[in-house]
Amino acid sequence: MDFDLGDQATALRSRLRELIARHIAEDYLGAFTNDPADLDVAQRFCKLLADEGLLTIAWPTEYGGGGGSLWDQTVVREEMWAHHEPRGAQYMGLNWVGPAIMAHGSDEQKRRHLPAIAAGEVIWCQGFSEPEAGSDLAALRTKAVPDGDGWRIEGQKIWTSYAGMAQWCVLAARVGEGQRHEGITMFLVPMDTPGITVRPIRSMLGPHHLNEVFFDGVWAGPEAVLGGVGNGWAVIRKALAHERVGIARYARCERLLSALGRELAPHWDSLPASLRAQWARALVQVRVARLLAYRTVHAQATGELPDVLASAARIAVTQCDQAVAEVLAQALEDQALEAGTRAPLHGAVEDHWRYAQAATVASGTIEVQRMIVAKDLLGSSR
Amino acid sequence: MNPVLPDEALEFGAAAAKAFAALGGVDAARRAEEDPATRGAEVAGALRALGTEDLDPRDGPEALAAAAALCEAAGRSALPYPVTGALLAGADGRPFAVVPDRAARVDHGDLFGEWRVARLGGRATVASRPDGARGLGSRLGPFVTDLVEAGQNGAGDADARGDVALHLALTACMVLGTVDRAVELAVDHVNGRIQFGKPIAAFQSVQFALADASVAVSGLRELAHYTLWRPTLVDSLALRVHALDVARSVLRTTQQLHGAAGVCDEYDISVLIRLAQPALRLPWGAERTAEELATAIGRDGFDGLFEHGGSAG
Repeated sequence: MDFDLGDQATALRSRLRELIARHIAEDYLGAFTNDPADLDVAQRFCKLLADEGLLTIAWPTEYGGGGGSLWDQTVVREEMWAHHEPRGAQYMGLNWVGPAIMAHGSDEQKRRHLPAIAAGEVIWCQGFSEPEAGSDLAALRTKAVPDGDGWRIEGQKIWTSYAGMAQWCVLAARVGEGQRHEGITMFLVPMDTPGITVRPIRSMLGPHHLNEVFFDGVWAGPEAVLGGVGNGWAVIRKALAHERVGIARYARCERLLSALGRELAPHWDSLPASLRAQWARALVQVRVARLLAYRTVHAQATGELPDVLASAARIAVTQCDQAVAEVLAQALEDQALEAGTRAPLHGAVEDHWRYAQAATVASGTIEVQRMIVAKDLLGSSR
Repeated sequence: MNPVLPDEALEFGAAAAKAFAALGGVDAARRAEEDPATRGAEVAGALRALGTEDLDPRDGPEALAAAAALCEAAGRSALPYPVTGALLAGADGRPFAVVPDRAARVDHGDLFGEWRVARLGGRATVASRPDGARGLGSRLGPFVTDLVEAGQNGAGDADARGDVALHLALTACMVLGTVDRAVELAVDHVNGRIQFGKPIAAFQSVQFALADASVAVSGLRELAHYTLWRPTLVDSLALRVHALDVARSVLRTTQQLHGAAGVCDEYDISVLIRLAQPALRLPWGAERTAEELATAIGRDGFDGLFEHGGSAG
């Protein structure tokens, strides 16, 4: 038993924190706020990480990456999320679009897309969910009909993050009349292709997070297909495998609880005992969520990662996110309503509470995770 | 980084589970309630055969992991014996317990003439079994005994503080065994119980309740391993509060899923939940433990990705 991540991971964490301290303001709440300057900060920071060789630290060396271990990737995930993801929308390209292109892309696709992703120059969005295909992704209806040597794409995507700012979309569409997984095909489509319309969806998460994307007779050439016609489900599964561990939400939770502890320290003895106890329990819950995530990484690093481990970690991590949001808000009482840099903790509590509400829905609902755990637990009776 | 218990500890835990199964599992507890003397005879004998007298959890991480595996196995069958206390016996042979402020109240306290007892502050005293002492005899604490304290034993505060941390951690491992077994029992029950023409496991409300219980147990297991790696007082308090919170929810869920059988002592779940109560209430319950944890974090800090309390606070 050893819970030390090792010298390399520790050094990487220090280096990332140094860069963040130097280039990201203490009150930064991420790229997707009402202030467009926050997006510029993220774009500059991505370039900086790319120059330092840190943006693609997790990529294999043959694609210009750092060949970092899974624990290095864990540290990057934790530090970036803890500090309000100063890579902005880039994590999607880095974490799975890039790796999916490495695994399934043609030489031309690799040449075209990987260097741009590695340089932090391009934003990708993911066209998976549809109005009638959320948790049940295989029910998707967006169609790609053969037209000349290419395809005409017709349909609608929803909940698409960053669609309004993305240059490229990795799109799942159905070819032919097949049912469920049959015929699903992945396309790499430039977002400025005629026929694509993006409609932002107002939400409590703030701007850019959620959009509808309409595909109205959108042309895609044969070179747009990723991984072969009808092979989309395998690409999606592989892509999602890169995301199995999920966002390190516990890291931001812990950073905010730490900040809250400092904020409350002068009044610590006069706080209600129940509040102190909630704060202490929240720290324990954050530790448990982190350890379940580490268990998942350990399984991945030493062999196979069973679905049930990844789902258990996701359940714990997303519930932790919401529980901590509530503890932070309870501690600030009426001030939890305040946003902006003059609010307590620079408005991070208000921001966290809003964002946490989607934690048990984003990237797969908690219900789907529970179904996976129950299947493992109960076997054939269910 | 390796979050898994060492193989030796896992093997020792498996051997202990086998030995306790040979005693009849939860039946050993049923027999002890009928005849308390079976604890000193058959249960103590089984522990001796496992070699627990030579196992000192203070001997380093491997020994502590083995002790934890033993405690987990004990918790799985509501083993009617103060395993944690016996493991932490000092050179004088007296078993050790952390006790509430109000009284030197110890589960199975009647099994030994003298105990070394301590409170959170770490001051150890010797406490004796009064003549003719017997357990409370209640359904929730049949073997819980009030001892009489003699005074300081001069063993030194620092030693006792370390033992307090280990006692809390090992007791939490016992609770881990109990909740893990409770989920297994519930899984067996819902797979076998037919209502409305199908196993009740086919209902999603049942599936989701068990999924949440199972995730809670997995989380507790990881936290236990982490704490065993470096059992400071603050980490042991954290483990205890989490074990109690998980137990409250998981035992409730698993009992409910048994329907009326959940409160019948013919079913293991009922005996398991009843006899887990002393570990959940002694030396303090979840709320008091959480308060103590908050105070300890304020004083000593809390290890993690960022600084909490301690000098930083």
